[in-house]
Amino acid sequence: MSVLEISDLRMSFGSHQVLQGLNMVVPENSIFGFVGKNGAGKTTTMRIVVGLLKPDSGTVKVCGEEVVYGDTKTNRHIGFLPDVPEFYGYMRPMEYLKLCGEITGLPSKKIKERSEELLELVGLKDVNRRIGGFSRGMKQRLGIAQALLNEPKLLICDEPTSALDPIGRKQILDILASIKGRTTVVFSTHILADVERICDRIAVLDQGILVLSGTISEIQKQYQRNSFMIKFATADQAAEFSASEELQQLGVKVVQEENVLAITIEDHSLRGQVLIDLLAAKQITPEKFEVVEPTLESLFAEVVQ
Amino acid sequence: MSHFRVFFKKEMVEHIRTYKLLIMLVVFFIFGIMNPLTAKLTPELLEKFMPEGVLISLPEPSSIDSWAQFYKNITQMGLIVTVLVFSSVLSSELSKGTLINLLTKGLSRTAVIMGKFAAMLTIWTASLATAFVTTWGYTVFLFSDDYSANLFSSVFCLWLFGVFILAVLLCSSTLAASSYGALLLTGAAAVCLAILNIFPKAWKYNPLSLAGKNMELVTNSIMFSSLSYAIGVTVAAAIALLAAAVLIFKRKQL
Repeated sequence: MSVLEISDLRMSFGSHQVLQGLNMVVPENSIFGFVGKNGAGKTTTMRIVVGLLKPDSGTVKVCGEEVVYGDTKTNRHIGFLPDVPEFYGYMRPMEYLKLCGEITGLPSKKIKERSEELLELVGLKDVNRRIGGFSRGMKQRLGIAQALLNEPKLLICDEPTSALDPIGRKQILDILASIKGRTTVVFSTHILADVERICDRIAVLDQGILVLSGTISEIQKQYQRNSFMIKFATADQAAEFSASEELQQLGVKVVQEENVLAITIEDHSLRGQVLIDLLAAKQITPEKFEVVEPTLESLFAEVVQ
Repeated sequence: MSHFRVFFKKEMVEHIRTYKLLIMLVVFFIFGIMNPLTAKLTPELLEKFMPEGVLISLPEPSSIDSWAQFYKNITQMGLIVTVLVFSSVLSSELSKGTLINLLTKGLSRTAVIMGKFAAMLTIWTASLATAFVTTWGYTVFLFSDDYSANLFSSVFCLWLFGVFILAVLLCSSTLAASSYGALLLTGAAAVCLAILNIFPKAWKYNPLSLAGKNMELVTNSIMFSSLSYAIGVTVAAAIALLAAAVLIFKRKQL
């Protein structure tokens, strides 16, 4: 079942068209990385989903219900963490969560229980000072707590780690990973290492349309380039193998860097075995033979170039 | 708990913790003390600081002078302080983005506008009441005359004008991007009302009359009923401004 369905979403600011017919489906219980360059339309998409912006056309469904601008009924399924969550500096974390709980209509007892549980989850249980004195990382963590207060089916986080230090980033990613299976998380970012670390599905947005979507393994398989890395004992041995007639006959692209050859076989019907057979025929025992998986970074660069 | 009650409570806590309530009460209390005192001391001070040999004949100060000070101070400085204190009531939330979390939790935008207005109204009422009660008590203490009439009806007119100004300010805040924009629009509205008073017949309907004819009520120069059209127009305009504020805010993309 899908938690979020976006169909033919279009939105422009003046003459600049930000979204140009975006289609996207987020399956239940996944951690969905929503990737794109700055200005690709990630924040606009998220703000449309939570009813803060009105699209020019297209539909957005959350848990099967259509999102209607100005009527935020679908928000009962959603928890939203903006890129820079802002709070009332004169409040304490418990007070703020109580305010949020009262707005969502939770009973007082439930608000108290849930607030304590969430403040523990985000590591702010013993922090009883005013939010005005919080660091950026603490605010992000409190932002996650407020977003999870109503036990949402869908948690939307807009670049939650982009301005944090490595420790703050790790804390946020750990929290998001810990709720996997209970809540579907859509998490926009341009930090691909974060996506690789916790997401099981990704969608890449470029110039307002989706250019790539699926599970990370599916995408890596799809963009597999039949590439190999062979490390030889010496640079001369690598050069000799690179220049050999048998290798050239396979139709390969070879790049040498000292004693390492990066070889891409253009013919997809051939497998790495042909290289192993060739090495054996030449009685060369390489120090290392590796199948090169495409990295998310290389894929991203390829699809958004 | 309804969204209006939740948000009104949040607004009141905000005004208390950010000292806005305290500032308003202290300023209006000072005005309350100053009015009768200024009325009492002005003739004495004038006499004292006159050059030697110059004789000045001033009538004995009365409660009328005290209330004249009250209406002069509150309609000028009092309203200016009120507008300045509340000028960023909506614009700061919009520019900082503090409403985003609450709106995405389903908080109704009508509740935001009405909650903010109700909190401003409460503080304005409490502040004006503070100034009024202080001036009244001190006036009774210093001037034992009964020249002043229609005290409640005259202060009601001023209170209603204040309510109207708050509605203008809130509506302006939904239109303008910053607190300066809201102040500018509110100032422009006040100037328009003042220009309208150039036409002699306009005062009967002009909300500004509620802040200009108070002393005429106190001295019994006009009847309260002569302001009924102005009261009707002011109430209708305040309701219309609030409705406009809600409509504009509902359409505002955040």
